[in-house]
Amino acid sequence: MSEASNDQYYVPHLAKWPIVGSIGLFVTFMGAIQALNSQTSITPWLMFVGIGIILWMMFGWFGDVIKESEEKLYSTQVDTSFRMGMIWFIFSEVMFFAAFFGALFYARTFSVPWLGGEGIGLATNETLWSGYEGVWPTNGPADLNGRFEIIDPYHLPLVNTLLLLASSVTITIAHHALRANNRKQTIIWLIATVLLGAVFIFFQAEEYVLAYRDFNLKLSSGIYGSTFFMLTGFHGLHVTLGAIMIAIITIRVIKGHFRPESHFGFEAVAWYWHFVDVVWLGLFIFVYIL
Amino acid sequence: MKYLIIVIFLFIVFSLGSAMFYLVKGKGQSQNTVRFLTVRVAVSVLLFLFIIFAAYMGWIEPNRPSFLQPN
Repeated sequence: MSEASNDQYYVPHLAKWPIVGSIGLFVTFMGAIQALNSQTSITPWLMFVGIGIILWMMFGWFGDVIKESEEKLYSTQVDTSFRMGMIWFIFSEVMFFAAFFGALFYARTFSVPWLGGEGIGLATNETLWSGYEGVWPTNGPADLNGRFEIIDPYHLPLVNTLLLLASSVTITIAHHALRANNRKQTIIWLIATVLLGAVFIFFQAEEYVLAYRDFNLKLSSGIYGSTFFMLTGFHGLHVTLGAIMIAIITIRVIKGHFRPESHFGFEAVAWYWHFVDVVWLGLFIFVYIL
Repeated sequence: MKYLIIVIFLFIVFSLGSAMFYLVKGKGQSQNTVRFLTVRVAVSVLLFLFIIFAAYMGWIEPNRPSFLQPN
């Protein structure tokens, strides 16, 4: 893709995807509003139609970009714009997770101890929540949703950490193999990565079943339940997206795309997978262990 | 011990960030990208092993709700 076969910045003619995307977004949000406000029906069918349009746009638009890239229509300038797009995307992702990790940090380090009477919270504790001990994990002084048990970090989460770390090792092997122009190895290790990711998601679902059914740990279990499910849930969503991205990259490698010296699509997806793994490591450390 | 784990974690984030730097820079820097990604995986595996070891030795204990604390 980064091979400069064309000095002009490539602009496609009559690209329909931007307007398709706009319509998809509009329909999605109209559907969401309808679903939230509807008194008679809770079927958010319009929202699903909108999501369908957006998925169609993504499939079509990304497909066009891949085709244009393989036809060598892109100059080094376009290559730079892809890299800029990647950094903005990652910046938004980092800020997204920073918000949730920040909420966890703030609640654990400040809010909960204050409610427990530490520092400036002495009067709050005595007048409002007398007898409340600000110890983490907690569902707060109001004991929201009742008592809960927490997931033992050294069972399912430990297995999941091992799975995700292994998948990062396999994608790194695939990365080295692609650079050495060893396509067979690249494909084998990419498939291994997707499978490990899928098993991770399966165990994560198991963990949620366990939490809801046996431990009474729910999204509504106060600040602990909220931060736990927001962080692990959105992380699981990112693993799902990453696995889909790697599956598509695998198909591209099978089709003969990418070269040892030029494979930005592969590199960006590999980096994204590493990012998702580091987020999990952060979760494992700050949510489960420490 | 907690702080050691956090420092190693920050180093992993730093390696990931360095890989991103070379990824965005482009211009034949992909060798540096893959090198930093390899470092980040290797250190992550070591940190994972260290956490298991620290838990086994009783240096770190998982957090539990106060109503489940044995006292």
